[in-house]
Amino acid sequence: MISFSNVSKFYDYHTVLRSVNFTVEKGEMVFITGPSGAGKSTLLKLIYRAEDADEGEIIVGKFNVTSIKSSDVPNLRRQIGVVFQDFRLLKGLSVYENVAIALRIRGLPEKEIKSRVFDVLKRVNIRHLADSNPKALSGGEQQRVVIARAVVAEPQVILADEPTGNLDPNTAIDIINLLKDINITGSTIIVATHNKELFRGTGKRVLRIDSNTIAGEEIG
Amino acid sequence: MYIGYALKTALKGMYQEKWINLLSAFTVASSLFIVLLIGLILFNIELFAGTIHERYGLVVFLKDNLSELETQSVITEIHKKEGVISARYISKEDALKEIKDKLKDVSYVFEGLDTNPLSASIELRLKKDFITPEKVKTLSKNIKEISGVDEVFSAEKIAETIDYFNRSLSNMSLIVLIALISGVIFVIYSTVKILFYRRKEEIETVKLLGATRAFIRLPFLIEGATIGFIGGLISTAATLVIYFAITYRLSNVFPILQNLVFPNEVIVVFPIVGLILGVLGAFVAVGKLRF
Repeated sequence: MISFSNVSKFYDYHTVLRSVNFTVEKGEMVFITGPSGAGKSTLLKLIYRAEDADEGEIIVGKFNVTSIKSSDVPNLRRQIGVVFQDFRLLKGLSVYENVAIALRIRGLPEKEIKSRVFDVLKRVNIRHLADSNPKALSGGEQQRVVIARAVVAEPQVILADEPTGNLDPNTAIDIINLLKDINITGSTIIVATHNKELFRGTGKRVLRIDSNTIAGEEIG
Repeated sequence: MYIGYALKTALKGMYQEKWINLLSAFTVASSLFIVLLIGLILFNIELFAGTIHERYGLVVFLKDNLSELETQSVITEIHKKEGVISARYISKEDALKEIKDKLKDVSYVFEGLDTNPLSASIELRLKKDFITPEKVKTLSKNIKEISGVDEVFSAEKIAETIDYFNRSLSNMSLIVLIALISGVIFVIYSTVKILFYRRKEEIETVKLLGATRAFIRLPFLIEGATIGFIGGLISTAATLVIYFAITYRLSNVFPILQNLVFPNEVIVVFPIVGLILGVLGAFVAVGKLRF
């Protein structure tokens, strides 16, 4: 489903990722861990082409991300749901509208959008917050909105960048359990986190980034 | 499709930024108002200029003692020439009568005149696009070669002036139009650019969610179109008010103003022109979206 072959990324003269190699199978849930600044977020950004790789090749499904045409980037991104570290919720839009935007972009009819959004909000336990302004919600609730937006279009791949960053331990576990539930439905999930507690005991594969490359692999 | 969403987003954006949009619509309206006013003045001048050529003509003087058949032959030959609309024959007698009528206050000048010194002539009217110094000169030369023609009075200077006036008018219209239309596009461009930058964060997010260029552009194009359309409506209304004020009020003092014409098509066409310019300005403002 996803493969990195000798992928490197530099910012000016600073190496962020060097010769990264790994593959993630379809339907797999993988954790990427490492200290802050190790390049976890950059690695995820390379997958949905928010950043360009300087070397190597990245394949996501049928897309070769490293040689993709600019006009195909929206198509690639529609195969991927992203849980952004900084949430990126749209100001002035309700919870419902924030989730619906992912379907509007895909040109779905309004009736289907309505039914799918309410389904997913129910699934992440925030159905009652549909009309709320995300600004008024707690961190955990906002995180659930972002997850709802990432999964509502049933993308093949879900990328979660520090999805529990600012949450209390109990809420963090809830969010990870939610992602695991979504994974059971068949989505490929990559979670980037520096919090080892999140993957301990999950039985999922964990890729450890150190010194700008994949330094090891273990089972959580 | 996402047209419904784009409309909703555009309307919401316009409401949220109502003051800047309103200001922009009024700026566009004032520019379009000037375009319309100048356009109207030029249109009326051109209408007037269009009638000038009707008063211009060539006079062909015929040799003395031509028979009726020969005269008819000259008229037929002249009619065949390109650019000639009409040819009116004036006999020696009619010419004298005409001149006597015109100079009846000083009729003593004709006393003692035993013979008619005037020549028979043919007055020609020419097509509008034929009144240029070169064409008039060539036509005069060709007519002069017709047997029975004595002289051709072409008043090339007048032809030159009419031609110069028509050309200057077209050039001036074009320059004014281009300058003002560029101004309108620039105003809409600036407004949409500001709105675009204000929504930059939102645009970046929807790009990352998989939005296409069309999805991102459409609300801005709708906003630009609306600003242009409203600007066009206001300017048309303002020009109509000015037009009626001039024709109904000022024409008492300056009767010539009664002849001013306001083409009805403007009422429909101008808001559409505003709309098209709005879309153009917005399109340039959003620019090339990079992924």
